[in-house]
Amino acid sequence: MKKRSLMLLASLMLVLSVFLAACNGDNSADGGKDTGKDKGKDDGKTEQGGEDTTAKLDFPLDVSNDAEPMEDGEMTIAMVAGEPFEGTLNRNFYSGTYDAEILSYFDEALLDTDGDYLITNDGAATYELSEDNKTLTLKIKDGVKWHDGEPVKTSDLLYSYELLGHPDYAGNRYDFMIENVVGMPEYHEGKTKEISGIEIIDDQEMKFTYTEATPSILSGFWSYATPRHHVGDVMTGEVTIKDLESSDKIRVNPIGFGPYKIDKIVPGESVLYSRNDDYWRGKPALKSIVQKVVSPATIVESVKKGDIDLASIPADQYETVKDVDNIELLAQVDYAYTYIGFKQGKWDATKKENVTDPDAKMASKELRQAMWYAMDNATIGEKLYHGLRFPATSLIIPVFESFHDESVEGRMFDPEKAKQLLDDAGFEDKDGDGFREDQNGEELVINFASMSGGETAEPIAKAYMQNWADVGLKVELVDGRLHDFNAFYDMVENDDPKIDIYQGAWGTGSDPDPSGLYGRTASFNYTRYTSEKNDELLKAGTSEKAFDTEYRKDIYNQWQELMFEDVPVAPTVYRYALTSANKRVVNYSIDPGSDLRLFQMGVAE
Amino acid sequence: MVTVNQKELIAKEKANNPSLLKTIWREIRHDKMAMISLVLLLGIIITAYSSPLFIDQEQLQRVNFLETWEEPSETHLLGTDDGGRDVFGQLLIGTRNSFTIGLSVTLIAGLFGLTVGLIAGYFGGLVDNVIMRIIDFLLVLPSTMFIIVFIVIVPDYSVFTFVLMMSAFAWFGKARLIRSKGLAERELDYINASKTLGTPSWKIMFFEMFPNLSSLVIVNMTLTLAGNIGLETSLTFLGFGLPASTPSLGTLIAFATNPDIVQNKWWVWLPASLLILIMMLCINYIGQAVKRASDARQRLA
Repeated sequence: MKKRSLMLLASLMLVLSVFLAACNGDNSADGGKDTGKDKGKDDGKTEQGGEDTTAKLDFPLDVSNDAEPMEDGEMTIAMVAGEPFEGTLNRNFYSGTYDAEILSYFDEALLDTDGDYLITNDGAATYELSEDNKTLTLKIKDGVKWHDGEPVKTSDLLYSYELLGHPDYAGNRYDFMIENVVGMPEYHEGKTKEISGIEIIDDQEMKFTYTEATPSILSGFWSYATPRHHVGDVMTGEVTIKDLESSDKIRVNPIGFGPYKIDKIVPGESVLYSRNDDYWRGKPALKSIVQKVVSPATIVESVKKGDIDLASIPADQYETVKDVDNIELLAQVDYAYTYIGFKQGKWDATKKENVTDPDAKMASKELRQAMWYAMDNATIGEKLYHGLRFPATSLIIPVFESFHDESVEGRMFDPEKAKQLLDDAGFEDKDGDGFREDQNGEELVINFASMSGGETAEPIAKAYMQNWADVGLKVELVDGRLHDFNAFYDMVENDDPKIDIYQGAWGTGSDPDPSGLYGRTASFNYTRYTSEKNDELLKAGTSEKAFDTEYRKDIYNQWQELMFEDVPVAPTVYRYALTSANKRVVNYSIDPGSDLRLFQMGVAE
Repeated sequence: MVTVNQKELIAKEKANNPSLLKTIWREIRHDKMAMISLVLLLGIIITAYSSPLFIDQEQLQRVNFLETWEEPSETHLLGTDDGGRDVFGQLLIGTRNSFTIGLSVTLIAGLFGLTVGLIAGYFGGLVDNVIMRIIDFLLVLPSTMFIIVFIVIVPDYSVFTFVLMMSAFAWFGKARLIRSKGLAERELDYINASKTLGTPSWKIMFFEMFPNLSSLVIVNMTLTLAGNIGLETSLTFLGFGLPASTPSLGTLIAFATNPDIVQNKWWVWLPASLLILIMMLCINYIGQAVKRASDARQRLA
């Protein structure tokens, strides 16, 4: 289960925040601002090598239909996936992006967030941070009720922390922000039954005390409550975590306090929601919603026929969907990037940290830099994705406007420079077979793992290998083929010695802190790259001083420089997430800064 | 008198009864469809197999994103695919790959099935019983599923392993067929005579029994050849066939899973589909002719 969740987390398709909350295109309930999107678009323009694609890429964020939503409307929403969804419908346990999509309709966080994904007081609860930034007081508003009519209590939120920190918890959300709660490490080790840092004042008010003051409190605070009375109490021994994870209360009839409640789940295929009349913000506009899995191959046809009101469209089908009359395309730069990872070590399971091997095949910094130079990402983005993807420059995506360092320009396609670098580092073709040998004159064959799935997977893998061959590097596919998603991440995660480099993608989450992906103790740091400088910067980035945005910015700029220089991974492309909305959809926006909330979304006549 | 008459008859019979190959040829010549099929098939195969002479495979496989989805033109006779690769070239190389695979599978499976079938048929009794029960069991396995599973788990995946895997599941039926014919044959006098003379069993099986079954084998192999090409194509279509970058007819047809390509980019999948259809029909017509040739009562010629 754990393994699977990790793999899913790392999904190429993963466009959502995973560490914090799912904030996908369908969820307009995340407040904020719209500068992030414009920013990304500008970057796209400058990086696409002069060719003007901005006109084509000027997508709206809101649907243009401003009619009144009709009474008792019904809507069909597609989850565009080639495989069934898992159906672990609980915030503490889910791992797939599709489960997150479902969760967003019937469950929400107690605290609302703005466009920077910082918590606000607009949600079902309000918060106050103490002077020293170490104590957070949370107050649940009146009238916030679970779907079964029970009020949402502070003990329900406490329950989430009890689950996440539980010694038996096998998911991957026991992260820094959970551990940072006073008393959590002791609880996590099973030494105590109570988390001393969480104090319940009454049913509506509670206090969290943190060991360390960090800006991540504002972006990484876990405010998803778990209905203790519904799922059963692990603390009293009513159920065990293991049973809970596979329980019907989570998989068949889960409840939340969101605008819609689940009527019926057809496992792996579809979910039927109906209106939650007691929703705390007011009466939701739609009477019912059907959400179903639609294969990426047929999604455009379904959208064209009008069967589907909302769907995310795979970028490679942009050309076919852009002229469809009855829909509108919304898009913004996604919280994700694709990258080539260079394996440099192993995960030490006993010490729970990454160990870099200085003798690894990919240990040469110049080799990694050269491979980055050799990739022609601009052409791929331009031709294959019609500009919906564009070359990536740094590991903090441009959507994080305050932290993305524009002075880091990435390595644009430059085979001559790549050759130069390789020559200088001693990678030379000594036996005249057209491919370079390594510094010791031994044959260098780099094994490349890539995922199948999607129409473009194969030509892209092929194109990269060609690019590398052009600068004299012999790169071969692991096992001579592309691997499916699960097999791929299985190998990458377990540091399979067959893999030297791999193509993966990360959903970055809404917290700019990259330590979860590149830290020394992060198991997601698949390349197993470590360095002291890296440790230092990542630590500084979440320290108390980092409440000062300028300081944090400076730290993250330094970190991006370091990543640019050391290239543990070579980011390849940033991407736009494309959403198609039928023209009858109203009150819908993919803009995190929008004031529209999910319960207002409806359909016009 | 009687003997002379008989000798004459035998001589006549011999003239009337030329070798199997000759009969087949005569049969095909007298069947227009079969003749056309043969010419067409030979044409396709010769073109496909000689294609490496005028197509640089490495160049063909090169991805060029500047030329994706181009319509048929003078430079690209059948347009280009998603990676800007020439479809016509892929069609030729693909035909070669698909045909080679179909043929190798037929031959390997044929050889294996033949051996097992002969052994079971020749010895009969307990040996036959044991072998046939095993085959009965294997026959009920969903072989396509098994092939798919093997393809997923095999570590070093190439055309060669693919052929072996497919062959491993293609011989059961053949073994059964040969065995049933063999059982009838073993009761005949010439086998008994050889046995009495002390000829070793393997010699009887392969040099005496087999020639008498050869027509059956040839007919069966011809007809299954078409099926095996189809099997390779359908597996590739489902995504479990050849490695993605090896051109094959299935890879080209697999593009047709996307409705947009079906409607607007016919040049990628249609030629390959037609080619498969034509090849299978040709093989089938030839197979029919061969089948008739092997049975005197059905002959047209």
